[in-house]
Amino acid sequence: MNRLIKLLLILTVLALGLSACGQTATQQPTPQPQTVRETVTVKETVTVKETVVVPAEKITVRLSGWASSPAETALLESLLYKFSVENPDILVKYEPITGDYKQVLLTSIASGTEPDIFYVDIFWWLELAANDALLPLDDLMAASGVSRSDFIPALIDAFTYEGKTYGIPKDFNTLGMFYNKDLFDKAGLAYPTDDWTWDNLREAAAKLTDLSDPNKPIYGFCTPPDPGRFPVFVFQNGGTVMNSDYTDTTLDSEAAVKAAEFYTSFRTNQIGALPSDLGEGWQGTLFGKGQCAMVYEGGWLIPYLRDQFPNTKYGVVMPPAGPGGEGNLIFTVAWGISANTKNAEAAWKVVNFLTSEASQKAVLESGFALPSRQALQNSDYLKNNPNSAAIFNGSFFGAKPFFWGAVGSDVNDQMAKALERMFKENQPAPEAMKQAADSIRKAMR
Amino acid sequence: MRTRTDRRKWADALNGYLFISPWLIIFIIFSLISLGYAVYLSFTEYNLLRPPRWWGLEGYQRVLEDELFISKALPNTFKYVLIVVPIQTFLSLVLAFAMDQNLRFQRFFRTIFYLPSVTSSVVISLIFIWIFAPQGIFNQITGLTVNWLDDPRTAFYVIMGMNIFTTSGTLMLIFLAGLQDIPLAVYEAAEIDGANGLQKFFYITVPMLRPVIFFVVTVGVIGCFQVFDQIFVMTNGGPLDSTTTITYLIYKWAFRDTRIQMGQASALAVILTLIILAVTLLQRRVIEGSGSGAER
Repeated sequence: MNRLIKLLLILTVLALGLSACGQTATQQPTPQPQTVRETVTVKETVTVKETVVVPAEKITVRLSGWASSPAETALLESLLYKFSVENPDILVKYEPITGDYKQVLLTSIASGTEPDIFYVDIFWWLELAANDALLPLDDLMAASGVSRSDFIPALIDAFTYEGKTYGIPKDFNTLGMFYNKDLFDKAGLAYPTDDWTWDNLREAAAKLTDLSDPNKPIYGFCTPPDPGRFPVFVFQNGGTVMNSDYTDTTLDSEAAVKAAEFYTSFRTNQIGALPSDLGEGWQGTLFGKGQCAMVYEGGWLIPYLRDQFPNTKYGVVMPPAGPGGEGNLIFTVAWGISANTKNAEAAWKVVNFLTSEASQKAVLESGFALPSRQALQNSDYLKNNPNSAAIFNGSFFGAKPFFWGAVGSDVNDQMAKALERMFKENQPAPEAMKQAADSIRKAMR
Repeated sequence: MRTRTDRRKWADALNGYLFISPWLIIFIIFSLISLGYAVYLSFTEYNLLRPPRWWGLEGYQRVLEDELFISKALPNTFKYVLIVVPIQTFLSLVLAFAMDQNLRFQRFFRTIFYLPSVTSSVVISLIFIWIFAPQGIFNQITGLTVNWLDDPRTAFYVIMGMNIFTTSGTLMLIFLAGLQDIPLAVYEAAEIDGANGLQKFFYITVPMLRPVIFFVVTVGVIGCFQVFDQIFVMTNGGPLDSTTTITYLIYKWAFRDTRIQMGQASALAVILTLIILAVTLLQRRVIEGSGSGAER
């Protein structure tokens, strides 16, 4: 008897549980137009009002970049806000990546979770394009009337692979020669101009060097063993780092070896120094402190000096030309769209907005990067800011992108090591450059 | 009857597994599967952008022919182990022995010596960068003008010194625990026989600590073979590859290079595992074989 009651109880509980489960199961698939049930109790009578809310068809687009400074992030966010006002149907989710950007991006591509839109750096974008991770943008550009010629040729060409455009340059930098006006005044020298040559540079460096104070030596010119600076001298000597199709290095050519000899001669003659000689990792700090009278740096040094060394008086001109003419490096970042995106058109709308003339003007006026649109060359901002103008105009004079092909990091490493061997172990330039070129060729196989 | 005890056993085992399941699940997902996948990747060509392509032993061959591996990473790693492990073991043993005496401020010193071990290695690395900067404290005190971290002859030794400084505290604690296990009666007997302090240290403390020494050396060797974060923060493998170790090379191939070589990096990771395994087995034979082995 007792057992029977127990059994019955269990059965009823089970039945209740099952029915409950059944109910939830049938409720689960909610239809796309959401049904909102409002229960309104009016004097003990219960009426159930049903209103059908159809949400606007919102497309979500994810966008990622590195966050180099709070000011830059704020600028991007304000541009994205403007975009959201103009395009209420597209929801842009900004997901900045801190830390090692390329590492995070590549692993997210490997796991198929990459954002729709992301920064691609000139230095490694080709790996992505060649492996079909980037969407060619030409059709989308044509559909919205954007032409390649709207952008600075050196920039848009840099993101072209097999005739297709894989990225819209968002901004860029070249190198300018920053000079310390106070130190020039002290040495009684006239300020540099855009027509300076290597000879002027050497003479000025000699006159500006002042080692009388051992605690604060002043060097005329800083020559970091940096693959982001040295190639400028190779270009100015009529040489290249890689051959035209990036299948071989030309670092052991006569032009490159002579450029290396010139670059290392400053330190040998005690009129130049490495930042590490003076205990700094970056020559920008030494320039601000007045220990390097001249440095080759990009536009990023301008806001740094404004914040950290507001009392340093300086000017910027284009790097002095060498025997082979003008030369410069272009550092640029583009917006790329993932090849796996489901919303290519919405993504393109965002990219197109962020690289439009209006947005680019906002970038320019914020002062930390230069716009990629040709039309802004004659803008008032550049007329009033000759320092930024020098860096902007650098892109038109012998400037080549900071890109060395698939073994780029090896080329960079080997250039840096060759310079270090010359600086620290006094290895002769021809030998050092030959060794670098051999190592790069080995890495290429 | 038999089925009943069997069932009990099963229930016990199930209970046990239930209790370790949080760790087990994490271990299986984040260690076992990743390890297995890494071994698989070591036989493939993989750049993260395209699916892995079977490569057989090509990756291993490339590692063994790589100039940076042969001429820098491999010798550097062994040099690091051979210098750091003996010094840190001996230093921490001496420290533990000293801390085991009835000194004044004993707790204070124990804390001080242990402090570097609880500090993040990145923080310590940054502090060492400043200490050994050209105008840093070290040069100012000694009156030298060496650019320690930018000179291929000195950079690696600074990192070694830092590692000894940070790990000795932890190892000291392990030795201290071992010292507590040595019965005082043995020391008393030795004293009656007329042994002095040094003799007690070398003839009683060291032999009685053999299992602990084996543990400390093993942990030290494995840790030294895997040294990475300090190098990553302080020198990035430079100057002139003088601080490039096997783990840094794995990182360089897997993430830093323009052309990602995940397969080749995985192959090197497998090779490193085999090296560590071989060395650990070898030292087990050496340390345990030389003694009576009865203590264990």
